[in-house]
Amino acid sequence: MKAVPAWLRLWSAYVRWTARWPALAAVVPFVPVVVLWAVVAESGIFPRVFFPGPMEVIRSFGKLMYNGILPAYLEDSVVRLAAGTAVGMALGIPIGLLVGLSDRAHKLLWPILLFFQAIGDIAWLPILLIWFGFGLGTMTFVIVYTVLFPIVLNTALGVRSVPLELHRAAQSLGATRARVVWEVVLPGALPNIVTGLRNGLGYGWRALIAAEMIVGTSGIGFLMFDARRAGSVVEIMLGMIVLGILWYIVDSWVLAPIERATGQRWGLVTR
Amino acid sequence: MGTGDAVKNLTIENLAKTYFDPFAGSQVTAIRDISLEVRAGDFVSVVGPSGCGKTTMLNMIAGFLPASSGQIRVDGRPVSGPGPDRGVVFQSFALFPWRTVLDNVAFGPKMRGIPKEKRHAIAREYLELAGLAHAADRYPNELSGGMQQRVGVVRALANEPDVLLMDEPFASVDAQTRMTLQEELTRIWQERRPTVVFITHDVAEAVFLANRVVVLSKGTVLADVPVPLPRPRTWHDLIEDEGFKSLSAQVLQLVRSA
Amino acid sequence: MRRHNRLLAAVAFTLPLFGLLVAWEVIVRAFDVNQRVFPAIGPVLQAGIESVQDGTLIRHIGASLARIALGTLIGIVLAVPLGIVMGVSPAISTFVTPLLRFFSVLAGIAWIPIATLWFGYGFGAITFVIFNAVFFVVAYNTLLGVTSIPMQLRHAAASLGAGRWQVFVEVLLPGALPNIVTGIRTGLGFAWRGLIAAEMIATNVGLGYMLFVARDFYRTEVIVLGMIIIGLLWLAIDRLMLAPLERATIERWGLVRRA
Repeated sequence: MKAVPAWLRLWSAYVRWTARWPALAAVVPFVPVVVLWAVVAESGIFPRVFFPGPMEVIRSFGKLMYNGILPAYLEDSVVRLAAGTAVGMALGIPIGLLVGLSDRAHKLLWPILLFFQAIGDIAWLPILLIWFGFGLGTMTFVIVYTVLFPIVLNTALGVRSVPLELHRAAQSLGATRARVVWEVVLPGALPNIVTGLRNGLGYGWRALIAAEMIVGTSGIGFLMFDARRAGSVVEIMLGMIVLGILWYIVDSWVLAPIERATGQRWGLVTR
Repeated sequence: MGTGDAVKNLTIENLAKTYFDPFAGSQVTAIRDISLEVRAGDFVSVVGPSGCGKTTMLNMIAGFLPASSGQIRVDGRPVSGPGPDRGVVFQSFALFPWRTVLDNVAFGPKMRGIPKEKRHAIAREYLELAGLAHAADRYPNELSGGMQQRVGVVRALANEPDVLLMDEPFASVDAQTRMTLQEELTRIWQERRPTVVFITHDVAEAVFLANRVVVLSKGTVLADVPVPLPRPRTWHDLIEDEGFKSLSAQVLQLVRSA
Repeated sequence: MRRHNRLLAAVAFTLPLFGLLVAWEVIVRAFDVNQRVFPAIGPVLQAGIESVQDGTLIRHIGASLARIALGTLIGIVLAVPLGIVMGVSPAISTFVTPLLRFFSVLAGIAWIPIATLWFGYGFGAITFVIFNAVFFVVAYNTLLGVTSIPMQLRHAAASLGAGRWQVFVEVLLPGALPNIVTGIRTGLGFAWRGLIAAEMIATNVGLGYMLFVARDFYRTEVIVLGMIIIGLLWLAIDRLMLAPLERATIERWGLVRRA
């Protein structure tokens, strides 16, 4: 029996640690990337002005945290997104239910929904600026609009994928139409609703950033755009990294597990 | 066993396999020492308890896994990777879902550079053999499990390999279909006489199909049992046959004791 | 028979949209809506005809389509081989997956400020944003697709005599194709949004620009015209290019049920 070489033992330890703390597997690959970044920045291939290194970004992070700008902007962005999403869900799920349950509503509304989704949130900005000016109303509308469609479409899909037999079973057990919807259809459509939420948020935060760039006076998108005007790449990079980390965390460790859990626990097949 | 004159088609010499398990942090021995000779035209069933190394051995003959020590030779040539001289039939069928049945069976000839007309003709011939000519233009996902595996078998055969390796090919199929497939396999084998190494955990299946049953245990060969039952074989005949029953019992006893 | 059904389906699809047009006209007339706030169909059509005649509409549409076509093409051509090569090795794919995920999460719009800083305003920056959106998302999905190909399919091909290149073309590419197509759909979606947003702030030609500049002059009929065109273009891309691609691959091979 050969002796186990040292690097193999190291690999074995890594495998065991990441099995216990999966977060580790998500973070470790970034280490060489950051190192590479630092090396490229130091080497001066690109002018420092255009390609700062990680240390400068970290210093900027510290500065902006200290003078309160970053937390304030972050809060603004997150609050807008959350508010828009809440409204989007409050509107989207009922509409999705309607479209899913009623064949007539489906035939009538589906093409219209697809068309308006095709226009896209950002194309609405100019006309919104004329109607509401540069304010919160405009941005909320954009986010709600963006989040609405994936939620409506996926909810409708989920509703329609609930087998007819489940409806009938509930009815033959004495449930009224309303209760069938509440007790059977909604839970059955839940995995799809979560998928819709996940997609909606994916487009939603992008719409938020775009809106903040074009319209805003605060928020991460505005931070990046303003930094662009000042020619300060460091803050742009900081904004991008903060966004990336935030969304990565929300999507991978909050939304994806919920999506998996609702799908798997109830034995429903999700994509 | 074989006389000195017989063509030795597949030779396994002192095969051993250890690998590193990162979770355990240590080396694991899958195969300790296997030596085996399979003659051209043999049908060898390999049985043994879980973990005895039969699938690992098959993967090494096929060339999917490297050996830690020892040698495998096909017709005198050492094995160093997968190749068309060793055809494989998989438990999961492994048909290419994006190709029709005909294109699946024609895949091997295509790899060898045979032009379209000719390879389609070859493929149709083999589909006839399996009674699947009518399904030539269907996609695998449209077929039942049993039909898919028949395609799997003729796909490997159409390439005319020196050795046909079968890794528990009928384990994913229901019992009725399995019996049909087993009888079809013996029929095809009688017609074409490929050299077959057939892995299974089902002792009755092993005895039904083979002219030799090898029992593996803990990474070595425990026993090599000849199966002199007459052919052609059907379940209807053999299920009450004394010879079959006693051989099966004998092999089962060996496996249980392993 | 099938063509008949498809025609019927197309009609059924456009009918509600016609209904919408009618409702639009009726509401604007009935409530005597201020034309500056929301135009009637007439002025919009008028603006459309004018801009076609003086060539500006064609220029804008052409610019937008050129950017998205170029960015998408380069993105796909680079991302697919890279994704496959990385996906083949379990070690590399495990390592690279979080990285690709992070960058595809960031893809598109977030890159506008830095792109304009690096490439200046105009074609280069916008095409970069589009390329970026498509590249990372497609690479990530390709990687995912390759890792989801059962090892036995690769083994089967090898034992039927396929060499490395043949396994790439005959097994890896088709096997990953459903995921690649999904990636293209998602990436294109982000890219399209990024295009419009970038054209609003970073250039002087294109549909986004057309919308934004019309706002300055309160020409709502041009804005509405632009929005409709954007909607129709995306619908065309979706129904005429993406959906048939998905039908021909994913659904026909029975690999994944369309969600």
